[in-house]
Amino acid sequence: MSPVRASRRTSRPAPAGDRYAAPLVRLLRVELRTEPRRPRTLATLVVLALVPVVIGFGVSVHAADPGADRPGLGLIRAVAGNGMMLPITALGVTLGLLLPLCVCIAAADALSGEAAHGTLRGLLLAPVSRIRLVWIKAFGVLVVAVLEVAAVTAAGLLAGLIIVGGGDQLLTLSGSSVGFGAALARVALAAGWTVLQVAAVGAVALAVSAFTDHPMVVLATVLGGTIVFGLLGAIPALDWLRPVLLTSGWASLSDVLRDPVPGDGLTHSALLAGVYLVIGMTGAIVGTLRREA
Amino acid sequence: MSRPDRTGTICSPSTVATSQPRPDEPMRPDRPAMAPVAPAARLRGLRKMYRRTVALDSVDLDVPTGAVLGLLGRNGSGKTTMLRLLLGLSRPTEGTVELLGEPMPVGAARALPHVGALVEGPGFLPFLSGRDNLARFAAAEPLVRTSAIVETVNYALHRVGLDGEAAIDRPYRGHSLGLKQRLGLAAVLLAPRRLVVLDEPTNGLDPAGIRDVRRLIGELRAAGSTVLLSSHLLSEVEETCTHVAMLSAGTVVATGTLTELLEADGPALEIHTTEPHAALAALRTSRIPGYAERGLVIADLVDTPPELVLSILASADVPVSEARPRRTGLEELFVRLTEEGT
Repeated sequence: MSPVRASRRTSRPAPAGDRYAAPLVRLLRVELRTEPRRPRTLATLVVLALVPVVIGFGVSVHAADPGADRPGLGLIRAVAGNGMMLPITALGVTLGLLLPLCVCIAAADALSGEAAHGTLRGLLLAPVSRIRLVWIKAFGVLVVAVLEVAAVTAAGLLAGLIIVGGGDQLLTLSGSSVGFGAALARVALAAGWTVLQVAAVGAVALAVSAFTDHPMVVLATVLGGTIVFGLLGAIPALDWLRPVLLTSGWASLSDVLRDPVPGDGLTHSALLAGVYLVIGMTGAIVGTLRREA
Repeated sequence: MSRPDRTGTICSPSTVATSQPRPDEPMRPDRPAMAPVAPAARLRGLRKMYRRTVALDSVDLDVPTGAVLGLLGRNGSGKTTMLRLLLGLSRPTEGTVELLGEPMPVGAARALPHVGALVEGPGFLPFLSGRDNLARFAAAEPLVRTSAIVETVNYALHRVGLDGEAAIDRPYRGHSLGLKQRLGLAAVLLAPRRLVVLDEPTNGLDPAGIRDVRRLIGELRAAGSTVLLSSHLLSEVEETCTHVAMLSAGTVVATGTLTELLEADGPALEIHTTEPHAALAALRTSRIPGYAERGLVIADLVDTPPELVLSILASADVPVSEARPRRTGLEELFVRLTEEGT
C-alpha cells in the first residue's frame, strides 16, 4: 500500500499528547471497514440478494404457465409483469425472517462474538469506554443492516427491470399506476422503513449480545422472539397486544403499494421501531457496563 | 560476603504482606533504592466472588514503580482474576484497586492509555490479517496519532521480531501459536507504556521466542516501564523479575523482592566443617537449633545472630572453613508455599 508500509520502523513514531480517548471518527471508520469484511456478512448479503432474483424467476415462470393459478401467493403474484413491485415485495418477504436473522448475526458478532474472540477485552484496554463501545458497535450493526436492505432492494430493482419487465411504471394494489420516478420514490420509502425495522431488531439483538459471551444465544433468543411475536399477533384473543408487537407492524409495508399511500400503519410501525431501538440500546448499554470482559 | 538482609516477608495466608519499601531496609547494589513514588498499582482488601466461589480473598499488593514483579501461582490460584480486576475488566466484590494512581474501574480512561496488557492470551479477529488486527487496535489507542497508525504498527512488529514475517498479512486464523502470541505482545507495545501487564507471556513460544520475551521485558524496564508478569514457570520469574508475589488459592502468601524471597526460608547459616558432630554438639550446648544436611551443618538463625554462632564454634575449637547464609531456590519456596502449606 503506502510506501511507509514497506519501511522498517526502528524508532517509535511520536505519540499523541496526553489524551484519554482515540478520535471517534477514527473508531467509526475502522468499524465501517471491519464489519462488512466479516465472511458471514458477505454470505448474508449474497443470500439476501438472491431472494428477489428467485422471486423474479418464479413469477416469470408462473406467468408463462396460465394453467397454474393457485391462490395464496398474494403480493408475489402481483409482481407478475410489474417489475417495480419486486424490490418492495422482496423486502416484505425477507423482513419476515431472513433480514432479522441476518441482522442478528451481525449483532451477535458485535459484542458477544468480539468477547468470544478476546477482542472486546483489547478494545476496553485501549481504552475505549464501554458506552462509546456500544455506540460504535451499534453503528457497525446499522451499517450491516443498511447493506443488507440495500442488497435486497438493489437486486430487486435489477431483477424487476431485467427478469420481470414492465418497469416503466408501477401498477399499485389499488389498481392505479404511477410513473417510474414515483415508483422509485416508493421503493426508497419502503427501503428506509425496512432499515428502521431491521435496526430495531438489531438493537434488541445487540442488547442480548451485551449480556452473553455466546453468539448462538443471541440468534436463538431474538429469532425465537420474532417467531413468538408472530404467533402472538396471529391469535385473535390477543388482538389488544398487536399494537406493541414489532412484527405485527411489518404487514404495513404493503401500504407502500397502495394509492394513495395510507400513512397510519407505516407511521405507527415506524414509531414502534423507534421505541424498540431505544429499549434495545438501553439494554445494550446496561449489559456492556455490567459485563465482565 | 555481604550480610544477608533478614527482612523476608513470608506470611501465613491470614496476615498478608506488601512489598512496600521499609525505612529500615538497607540499600543494596542489586536493588535500586525506591524513591518515595506512588506504586504503579495498589490493591487493597481485594475480594472477588463468582457466584459462590471465592476467586480472590483479602489481597493486598503494591507493584512498585520501576519494578518487574512476577506473580507466581499455580493454575487457578487467581493470577488472571487479579490482573483483570487491576485492569478494570472486572469489578471487585470488595476492596479497592488503584492503577497508576487512578481508582479503578472509574479511572480507566486516565490510566489505561499508559498501560499495555496481554491478558488471557492474544485476542484478534480471525478473518483479518495480523497486521490489520494490530492497525485496528492502534486506531483505538488514545496515544497513537491518526497519521502514525501504519508506522506504529510497523514499529510494534519490529519490536517483537515480526517485521520480515510474510504470514502477518494473511488472515489471523491461520497463524501459528507462536505468531499469535507475538502479535499479542506487539499489541502491548503500540503506545509508550508506564505499566505493562503480561499474563503468561511465553505461552506457545519456542526457546527463541522465550528469549525474545525476556529481552523485551529488559527493554521495557530499561525504558522505565513497570512490568507485571504472571507465570507458573519459576525459572521465568527467577530470571526476569526484581520482585515476586506468590498467590495460592486466591490469597497472596508472600511478597517481596526476589532476593528477599530467595533467602526467605527462615534465616540459617551453612557451615562447612570437617567435624560436623563437634559443631552440632557445640550448638546443642548453646541451645541453638541445628542439623546436618549433605555434609554441612545448618544453624538456625531465628533467635541467634550469625556472629554468635561463629564465636560459639570457635570457642568449641570446631574448624570452620566456610560459613554463609543459606539460600533456598525459589522453586523450593514455591513448592513449600503452594503445596505443603495448603
